[in-house]
Amino acid sequence: MTRECALLLPGVCAALADPRQPGSDDTCLEKLLDWFRSMTEFDPSVSLVQDNPCLTEFITSILALPEPSPSILSFTLRLAGILASSENRFQHLQQEKLLVRLFGADGPLSSTVWEDASVRSGWVEGVHSMMHHQPALHFLCNSGGIDVIFALQGDPSLFVASSASQLLVHMLIFSVESETTKPFGAKDFDWPVCARMIIKRIEDSLQSSSASQVEQSLKLLTSLFSSCHSRWTEVLWLGMAKQIESFLTDETVQAQRVLANLLLNMAWSPVFCDSEGGLWALVTSALEHLTPVQVGPLAVGILRLYKCPQDVRIQALTVLLQPMDCILRAASQPLEYAGLLDESVSDPATVESLLSSKSSCASLLCQTLAHLEELLSLVYLRVDLPYTSLLRSLMTILQFCNGFLSPASPLGSTISRILINCFRVQSSALDVLAALSERKGCDTLIGSLFDVLLAYLESPNTTPTVLKKTFQATSKWLVRLHELSCSTSQWQQTEKILADVFLVLQKRLCSPCWEVRDSSLEFLTVLIKCLRDQDEFRQSLLSSEVPRLTENLLEDPESYVRASAVTAVGHLAFITFFAPELPVIGNQYNKENTVAKLQEILSKDPEGFPRRAVISMFTKWLRQGCTGRMEDTERFVSRVIQTVEHDLDWEVRLGGLELVEVFCSQTICQLGLPGCSSVPVLSAVTSSIHQNRSLQIFCRAKLFSFLFRSLCDCDKPVGQRACDILFALRGNFYPTGTPRDSQETGELPAGHGIAWLQRTLRQGSLAQNFPTAGGDGVDFEDPESMMLALGTIDLEELHDELNRSSDHVEKSPQSLLQDILATVGTIEENEADCY
Amino acid sequence: LICLCLHPGAGQDVGRSCILVSIAGKNVMLDCGMHMGYNDDRRFPDFSYITQNGRLTDFLDCVIISHFHLDHCGALPYFSEMVGYDGPIYMTHPTKAICPILLEDYRKITVDKKGETNFFTSQMIKDCMKKVVAVHLHQTVQVDEELEIKAYYAGHVLGAAMFQIKVGCESVVYTGDYNMTPDRHLGAAWIDKCRPDLLISESTYATTIRDSKRCRERDFLKKVHETVERGGKVLIPVFALGRAQELCILLETFWERMNLKAPIYFSTGLTEKANHYYKLFITWTNQKIRKTFVQRNMFEFKHIKAFDRAFADNPGPMVVFATPGMLHAGQSLQIFRKWAGNEKNMVIMPGYCVQGTVGHKILSGQRKLEMEGRQILEVKMQVEYMSFSAHADAKGIMQLIRQAEPRNVLLVHGEAKKMEFLKQKIEQEFHVNCYMPANGETTTIFTNPSIPVDISLGLLKRETAIGLLPDAKKPKLMHGTLIMKDNSFRLVSPEQALKELGLAEHQLRFTCRVHIQDPRKEHETVLRVYNHLKGVLKDYSVQHLPDGSITVESILIQATAHSEDQGTKVLLVSWTYQDEELGSYLTSLLKKGLPQSTA
Repeated sequence: MTRECALLLPGVCAALADPRQPGSDDTCLEKLLDWFRSMTEFDPSVSLVQDNPCLTEFITSILALPEPSPSILSFTLRLAGILASSENRFQHLQQEKLLVRLFGADGPLSSTVWEDASVRSGWVEGVHSMMHHQPALHFLCNSGGIDVIFALQGDPSLFVASSASQLLVHMLIFSVESETTKPFGAKDFDWPVCARMIIKRIEDSLQSSSASQVEQSLKLLTSLFSSCHSRWTEVLWLGMAKQIESFLTDETVQAQRVLANLLLNMAWSPVFCDSEGGLWALVTSALEHLTPVQVGPLAVGILRLYKCPQDVRIQALTVLLQPMDCILRAASQPLEYAGLLDESVSDPATVESLLSSKSSCASLLCQTLAHLEELLSLVYLRVDLPYTSLLRSLMTILQFCNGFLSPASPLGSTISRILINCFRVQSSALDVLAALSERKGCDTLIGSLFDVLLAYLESPNTTPTVLKKTFQATSKWLVRLHELSCSTSQWQQTEKILADVFLVLQKRLCSPCWEVRDSSLEFLTVLIKCLRDQDEFRQSLLSSEVPRLTENLLEDPESYVRASAVTAVGHLAFITFFAPELPVIGNQYNKENTVAKLQEILSKDPEGFPRRAVISMFTKWLRQGCTGRMEDTERFVSRVIQTVEHDLDWEVRLGGLELVEVFCSQTICQLGLPGCSSVPVLSAVTSSIHQNRSLQIFCRAKLFSFLFRSLCDCDKPVGQRACDILFALRGNFYPTGTPRDSQETGELPAGHGIAWLQRTLRQGSLAQNFPTAGGDGVDFEDPESMMLALGTIDLEELHDELNRSSDHVEKSPQSLLQDILATVGTIEENEADCY
Repeated sequence: LICLCLHPGAGQDVGRSCILVSIAGKNVMLDCGMHMGYNDDRRFPDFSYITQNGRLTDFLDCVIISHFHLDHCGALPYFSEMVGYDGPIYMTHPTKAICPILLEDYRKITVDKKGETNFFTSQMIKDCMKKVVAVHLHQTVQVDEELEIKAYYAGHVLGAAMFQIKVGCESVVYTGDYNMTPDRHLGAAWIDKCRPDLLISESTYATTIRDSKRCRERDFLKKVHETVERGGKVLIPVFALGRAQELCILLETFWERMNLKAPIYFSTGLTEKANHYYKLFITWTNQKIRKTFVQRNMFEFKHIKAFDRAFADNPGPMVVFATPGMLHAGQSLQIFRKWAGNEKNMVIMPGYCVQGTVGHKILSGQRKLEMEGRQILEVKMQVEYMSFSAHADAKGIMQLIRQAEPRNVLLVHGEAKKMEFLKQKIEQEFHVNCYMPANGETTTIFTNPSIPVDISLGLLKRETAIGLLPDAKKPKLMHGTLIMKDNSFRLVSPEQALKELGLAEHQLRFTCRVHIQDPRKEHETVLRVYNHLKGVLKDYSVQHLPDGSITVESILIQATAHSEDQGTKVLLVSWTYQDEELGSYLTSLLKKGLPQSTA
């Protein structure tokens, strides 16, 4: 603790303890606790409480209040817990009996304030903080605290209940791991006293007739097994396994979901998944007995496991595929398709009845689809998925949803009636469809798949959200289609599909709904990014109306759409005027025209998104070497930075700096300066000439004025980036070893105004923006001055200043203490005002 | 009906609303706010309490946002794009238009200040807004077949709405923040007598009877005027939208009336868009603005111009609106530094400031501020705090309860002590239960839903054929079989039920043995019984069957001799449950024995 803070602390404590003061802002108290936590975390010594007696005095005075406010009492409990986190400080507080009075049976526990959830929460958190040494453990066990915590697991406040459960887990682990003397499995092994107390209560509540108690204990075991992977957890489990196993078949116990979660967490623990113990038998039994909805998360969790018996894996997969199988069978004529599965794990009638009920059909399908998507995202899947049937099943679901399929079978017609227009199922199915595109093996269906996708793209009933997902799936499958047609040379089908896609895209680009226009543009950009090298794609795109419509959207009333249009137009340029050989049909695309349009958006658009999109597109062009010869690029960059220099949006200015950075490194690379590693080292003479040339280019392009001004930008990231770029430039012009003038400002040569610049920057980066009237004799376009500036200005110091942002003031404990003190006496009425 | 406040912190903190309601099996999240006082995880609600119930998108049926303030919508992009909620989100049209501006504004400030990475991006805000379904006032929106929602005008800010959530005949009304008195640009909240099972009301000003907003506005204008008159500069730090527009209207009309010449500037590029929306959603503003709209648009400002950084150094008086609102970064802080040293100048803070910000420090009276680089900034300019927030006060809350006539009330978004007072008042005056749960606490409310039942035409016809003609005023008892299937209830005749469900009919008969002392032959005993019953039960059809048994309606009586004692006859009486009464009567009658005279 700094001396300043130590001086402020007594005043703060006194203010907090004063019941006449209005309660302090909650966030202040929280931040105060954060500070104490950070001070005590790595320092077990007693000095904090000894050197600051005001802390114990504060606790004493709160305890003396007849009616302390719940929030300050809660704060006190948590503070005391943090202070008591080391044995030394614990003893110190105990000497004054503070902990007994706070956490003991006669403390807040037995008073009316206990009814306030924040007090109970403070109590639990306080206990948790101190539970890092044995005296604390024994203190709590002896004071009957364990009963309190067990009771709090059923607290009406979820927050309190869950912290109580976490606390018990922590105490159990701590007790076993710090107090056990004999090895586990030894004949005379016995649990330590505190652990025994906790275990006894867990066992009791597992046998209780109260469902909530059973559930609490199962949850407790779940978090224990997930956070602790020591061998003793198995010993503990063996004592309870029989009881818990019986819950699987006992229909009176309503804890199936929790039970499945417990098994999953056990399967993840090396203790259980390796052992011969009955875990896998139990998992198998759960997969059989619980409903697909209850057991889905367990099944997908099992399939993620590295270590797991193959038969359990197959069973888990079967559980997940059952609904998909059922869909397929419901939709098909008898004997048309074999379905997905040869046999099922649980009774297929269960799945059938779930799918034919209005209330459970959509939720079961959504859950199944989400799990399948998760599986498909795994790099290594240790079971084989029947991709073709899965795809067929997905297509069936999608066709049910848009009413394109109404099968004759009673089950099929029931499901299709339930699913029609169900956008939740549509979204989930499209997500899986997109994920499936990366798996090989379902190519035979690709034609009919596009029929389904196009039907969605065309349908006016497709909601904007579903349309977006359809676009995502379509773009992925188009890439797949292309790969396929490369290998089979079936270009006709590809061309037909592309033509259809662009036709529908044309329509969507004119939608009255901005979400649809925007998603359409994003889709187009993705397509260009992935397929721009493909002839058929370029042909189809350029012969459609899409490019023209896209350009029209640069003037869309919605700024999001304008921004997306900018990005799309920028990418279109790669296949029109930036293409190595200009396509025949692309010659109506005028480069100057488009660039001018984007320039105009950059300088005139009233909103940030389109301007940001332009600057980032320009940077992309520059990176890809599309901006022409060096002189053209220089002019281009210069024009752009003069536009963005005064932009109100700092992210646009930052984008400008990024452009400058790319330009600098490209120029230096092309002229072969040592900064670019790809060029062989040149002799000192040629290097200095090049240096001069690039320096001249930078000066001519007015880069330096932009960079130095940016150092004083009122938005910090801009200043930081500018400083980084100047750093890099200095590294180029003054490679390590070359002497540079680092004299004091006073000794700087007169006439260049660099001393003034140094002074201004030093103040400017801190206090005000760069003087608009320009520099006091500083010529930012004079190479000699700029070389001098780079060499002499203390960029390191500026860099440090900029990095030490206002956060350092805002977050410092001293500032916090001052703020709390300052609010004493003022009324916190402004709390209610919000934005 | 279950309600759970997920605002972080275990107490009843003001701000950052996020409420979970379970109504007839549907789960709805009401608002998804953030706390600006923190820069770590604590700023967002802890959604892990919901994810315990499985995937968010599966668990939640929809999310509803009441208005665009960040403590009600600030965590939405985090929730939908980072936590992974992928279902529908509802808000009104103005909220959908304005919400992303504020989110973007706040994102910029946050990222600017801290270089934070664990925050949502612009793309995420956009993707989130694309998932939003915009609703009109009083439009019933069908979320799915069972769940419907409806928005009502809430005042407070442009586009703010109260929402009615209805499943079957159960309903909840969530007020969000609302204002029962019209202000300069918005009207008063209004709801019809929808008699919800539960009204969830904010209670920010639960006990405060606020001085009129007019007073505060007059005060504000006076202070600005005085400062400008003496040649000083006025800085008003604001966020891009909301309060800023309100104050702009105020200053604009004042300048016009007083014919003032000092320039007023608005520093963000966002003003155009903000004003655009205020123009676009003119129907959401109050009557006066709507009326004058034809002559002159209130939001086309004559006196307020765009600000350029260079203007800050201009001599002479001026008024500048600059972002951000808490003086913690960017332009407003830069201007503040320039002007702070001059006692002629003034800064007016029109809203809440988070601890640690320069705004918070000067409001708490600190005048020597440490800036970056250990510089000390001495604040000589005047510092004023003005609250313009528009919430319902105790009177307003009572008024809304009177309008909606809820069966239960639940208070949120207020201080515990103040809420306790209001709770008592509500319970006394309206005789309804009032709850004020702590954050994280679940409130369960039992409802008595009336469940509609379809009656088959056949049954109706039959019943009317038997009884009198139906009378609308008199309830009539009907008998039938209730079939509960596919979430619907139907009352049909038992025969139809059997047929539909493919069940076979079973007869249930009660039997009873009665011993009678009678030494005669069995058939004589039977005859005696027959005569006796015929005499007593004159209105019933008593028959003596050829097989020697007697029937009275469905009741069957047979007599046998006792196997051991020939002087005792055993009468076996059996009857169906329809004739339960008659059966019991008959047995008791027989138990008394036969009258001697009939012999």
